[in-house]
Amino acid sequence: MSAESDMEYSDNDGDDYDYYGEQDDCDMEAVDRTKSDPEYFLYTCLRVEEVEKLLNESIELLSNSLQITPSLAKVTLHAYEWNAQEIINKYKENANEVLVYSRVKSRSPVLQASTSRSSCAVCANTPPMHKYSALACGHYFCNDCWAMHFEVQIMQGVSNTITCMAQDCELRAPEDFVLSHVTKPMLRERYQQFMFKDHVKSHPELRFCPGPNCQDCPKCQICIEKNGGCNHMQCGACRHDFCWVCLGDWKSHGSEYYECSRYKEDPNMSSDSQHAQAREALKKYLHYYERWENHARSLKLEEQTLASLKSRINQKVMAGEGTWIDWQYLWDSAKLLKRCRYTLQYTYPYAYYMENGPRKELFEYQQAQLEAEIENLSWKVERAETTDRGDLENQMDIAEKRRTTLLKDFLEFHTTTASSSKV
Amino acid sequence: MAALPRRIIKETQRLMQEPVPGISAVPSETNARYFHVIVTGPEDSPFEGGLFKLELFLPEDYPMSAPKVRFITKIYHPNIDRLGRICLDILKDKWSPALQIRTVLLSIQALLSAPNPDDPLANDVAELWKVNESEAIRNAKEWTRRYAMDN
Repeated sequence: MSAESDMEYSDNDGDDYDYYGEQDDCDMEAVDRTKSDPEYFLYTCLRVEEVEKLLNESIELLSNSLQITPSLAKVTLHAYEWNAQEIINKYKENANEVLVYSRVKSRSPVLQASTSRSSCAVCANTPPMHKYSALACGHYFCNDCWAMHFEVQIMQGVSNTITCMAQDCELRAPEDFVLSHVTKPMLRERYQQFMFKDHVKSHPELRFCPGPNCQDCPKCQICIEKNGGCNHMQCGACRHDFCWVCLGDWKSHGSEYYECSRYKEDPNMSSDSQHAQAREALKKYLHYYERWENHARSLKLEEQTLASLKSRINQKVMAGEGTWIDWQYLWDSAKLLKRCRYTLQYTYPYAYYMENGPRKELFEYQQAQLEAEIENLSWKVERAETTDRGDLENQMDIAEKRRTTLLKDFLEFHTTTASSSKV
Repeated sequence: MAALPRRIIKETQRLMQEPVPGISAVPSETNARYFHVIVTGPEDSPFEGGLFKLELFLPEDYPMSAPKVRFITKIYHPNIDRLGRICLDILKDKWSPALQIRTVLLSIQALLSAPNPDDPLANDVAELWKVNESEAIRNAKEWTRRYAMDN
C-alpha cells in the first residue's frame, strides 16, 4: 500500500527543491478544483512547531498593540476565533465590551473585596487573608481550593474554559492565574498541551489531521495515512519504504527473516526484581496485542479493498472488457488475502501463550515467513490491475501454502494436546 | 483512609442541626461520604404524598467534583431513568464547588415540581409527557402511590 500524502508541504528551509514535481501524477486534474469541487480546499501541512509559531505571532501582535499580558491576549483570541484585527478595532472602541465578551470581566459590578473573611466557601477552612485569591469577579476562595479546582479540571481535559468556582459565575481563569496556582510539573504540562489543542480547534484556519491513523513518515516526517491493509508502507512524498508495525526500513523485512513479528525476551530477566518482571510481562503482552490489533485493522481495510475490487470488476464487465471469469482471479486474490490476514491475526494470541522452546521458535519462524508473504500479496493485490496475472497467482499460491503449512503443523498439534488434556 | 475534609464535616453538621424542610440526609454509619436521603414529593405535584429514597455519594475530589446522586425508589419522571439516574445540569457541567449537598437536594426537589420533558433522560416518559400530559401525570401519581407510599 502507499502512504498517501495528498497535501502540499511547504518547507521554509530555503532550498528550492520541489518535493513534488508530480503535478501530473494520477488523478490530479488540470482544472482548478477549488471551483469545480465544493469539498476541495487548498491547504498546507504544518508541524507542531510551525503551528506554535503561528499562534505566538498573533498573541504577540495583540499583547503589544493593546498593552495586555500574553495570557489575556490568549483568552481574547480564543473568544474571537483568532481574529486579532477585529479585537484591536473593538478594543479601541470599547475595551470593556471585549473583556466582558471574552469572559474575563463581569458585566455586573464587581463584588467589594471585604476586609475580613470568615472562611473559604469551598473547603470551610480559615486560612490567613493573604492566602485567598479571586478573578476579576471578586469571588474569593483560598489558594488551596483554586489549586484543587484546576487540578480536577485539567485532569478532565479542560483548559481554556476553566471557570470561576462560584455558582453561576461564568468568568474564565486566564493562563497566568491558573499557572500561579498549579505547581505540579505534570499538570502544568498537561494544561499547556490541552491549551494548544484548544487553540488549534478554535482557530478557523487550522485543523488537526482528521485521519485516525495519522502518523508521520519516519524519514521525511510528512503526515501520512494508512489507507489499505498492507503493512508495507511507501511514503507518497519521499517514496521511503517502511514497516507500519515497527516503523523500520522495509528492506530488513523482505529477505530471509521477518523480524518484527517475534518478541525478543530480555535474557537477564530472571535475575531482576519482581517489579521489573511485571513490567516485562506487560511489555510482552503489549507486543502481541499490538500486532493482533494491527492485523485486525488491516483486515477491515482489506474488506474495503475486496468491495472496491468487486465494483471495479463489475465496471469492466459492463464496459465489455472481458467477462467476470476473466477477472475472477482478482476477486479470488482479495478473498485469499482476507483469509490469510485472519489466520495471521490469530497467530499472535497463539504465540503469546506458547511456552519458550524449539517448538515456539519453529512457530515464530513460520509465522514470520507467512507474514512476509502476506504483505507481498497485499502489496500486489492493491496494485492488482497493474501486476502481471501470473505473478499475482504465483504470490497467491505461495501465501496459501505458507498458511496451510503453519495451520497443519500447529493446529494438529494443538487439537491433539487439547483432546488429550480433556480426559 | 484519609481524614474527612472539614467541608464535609461542616456540611454534615449543618444538615443535622438545620435540616431542609422535606429533605433528610443522614450519613451512613460505615462511610461518612455516603448519605441515605429521603425527599418528600412536593405539594401540587404528581409526586405529592410520596417519600422518595435516594443515595448520595461524595467522591474523593468533592467539592471539586459533583456528588453522585441516584433515586432508589422507582419514579415516573422524564428526567429520571429506570436506574434512578438524574438528568440535572448542576450534577454535570454546571457543577460549582460552591454548591452544597443541601443545594443539590433542593434542586432535585424542584425538579420533581417542574419536570422538563424537553431535556429527557427517560425517553418514553418524556414522549408521553409531551403528547399526553394528563395521562403522564396519572402514571406518575400511580407510581408514587405504588412505590413511594407506606413502605
